[in-house]
Amino acid sequence: MNKVITINLNGNAYQLEEDGYEALRSYLEAAARRLEGNPDRDEIIADIEQAIADKFRAVLGANKTVVVSKEVRDVIAQMGPVQDDSGPGGEAGASKAPGAPGAAKDGPAAAGGSATGSPKRLYRIREGAQLAGVCNGLAVYLGVDVTLLRILFAFSVLSFGAGVLLYIVMMFVIPPANTPDEVAAAHGAPATAEEFIKRAKEGYYAFGDKRAFREWKWKFKQDMRQRRQEMRESAWAWRWGWHPHGAKNPDPHPGFWFVGSSAGIVLSILSILCVISVITLITTGTVFGFYLPWGMPLWAQIVVVILLFKLLKGPVRAMRYGAYYGGCGGSPFVGAFVHFCTQLGWLLLLFLFLWYADHHSSTAHDILGHLRSAAHHTVDAIREWWSQQ
Amino acid sequence: MSINEKFTAIRKGLLEFLVLKIIAADKVYAADILSQLGSTEFATQEGTLYPLLSKMRREELVDYQWKESEAGPPRKYYQLTAKGREQLRETSEYWQKISGTVRSLGQDTGQ
Repeated sequence: MNKVITINLNGNAYQLEEDGYEALRSYLEAAARRLEGNPDRDEIIADIEQAIADKFRAVLGANKTVVVSKEVRDVIAQMGPVQDDSGPGGEAGASKAPGAPGAAKDGPAAAGGSATGSPKRLYRIREGAQLAGVCNGLAVYLGVDVTLLRILFAFSVLSFGAGVLLYIVMMFVIPPANTPDEVAAAHGAPATAEEFIKRAKEGYYAFGDKRAFREWKWKFKQDMRQRRQEMRESAWAWRWGWHPHGAKNPDPHPGFWFVGSSAGIVLSILSILCVISVITLITTGTVFGFYLPWGMPLWAQIVVVILLFKLLKGPVRAMRYGAYYGGCGGSPFVGAFVHFCTQLGWLLLLFLFLWYADHHSSTAHDILGHLRSAAHHTVDAIREWWSQQ
Repeated sequence: MSINEKFTAIRKGLLEFLVLKIIAADKVYAADILSQLGSTEFATQEGTLYPLLSKMRREELVDYQWKESEAGPPRKYYQLTAKGREQLRETSEYWQKISGTVRSLGQDTGQ
């Protein structure tokens, strides 16, 4: 059931569905805005109302007394946006280019709809993608070279393993650009500083209070500076046998130093092993000859392997942190435990999220399937390249 | 950029000329003008035509009379003023010159 609203168009009553009424009202309001300053504004609006009334009359009949929303929208589409090139003086001809004063007058309203003025959106772009188009989309969004991003990602995979997880998360979070409109939106307005300033001026970023924003920025910078300072200090303390980090424990037990260093070495070895196992998993389907159980898809196996290594690394890393905290005069166990729990919780959450997405979203399932074949292709390509060397 | 897009500005500039021509031929109301333009490359919508007509009236190129119609409310029927006819003549001449130039330019170099 729809609510019907009766309107008066140039002296005639018409009944419109509520949605249609809203559409018509905003059309006429936009028209009035465009004609701001035109001496014949009221007359033009009356003419337009009359033309709309004529079109409404054409769709109504003896048994049809209400104009439905779709019909209203069709009529508005037929009318087309009201364009006024004349300006108040009426001197300029109709030859004035579009986008001159008439359009500039109501900038924000005009900027919303057109393709060139619309804000840029982050999409995955599958065209020319290596995997799921995350890097492609990001590169377009940030306006940097895609190869650079890919190298950065590859590097982050080697050094932390977090790159893979980040990529997978982004694959879920960022929608793919399927239609030409979405691709256009992905390329959107350039994300340059100029554009940023322009948008900021238009009140695009809703930092209502400028002072609050400045304060926030200042505080953020202060925080960062302080953190860097702390990091530098602790690195210093670490290197020089934990000389007073607050002078609590000027003479640490040498055991702490031994545990800390050996844990560091074990961690590096585990990281390398992790990368090797993922590569062997992708190429041979096994991890050092072991098949993973449960008939999981390849992507899940990769995640599981990475998680397993993370878990293996967890206690070692905890030991290292513990040694560090102990060396600095804190409790080694609190430091180790807190670190271990955060790591574990974070990984569990991620794994649950991936699992849930795969089982409850067909798109996510498809994407993950797509990732699998894409990974195969990539590895094949790398092998081919290698054999050619 | 398609041909259609490239010529947007030109079509826009020629619209007033064409409306003058249509009104010169016969007394018409807005819907007549739209339907005559509708089958051409110059197809136009009310949102563009009404402001243009009101501008032309302000410049005293056209004038209108209210006339009763068989069905519905009275309509504005447009006709050219003396100034409008003068403008149409000038524009036609200028257009002849332009199209003559467009036609002849390439051929001159070819011969």
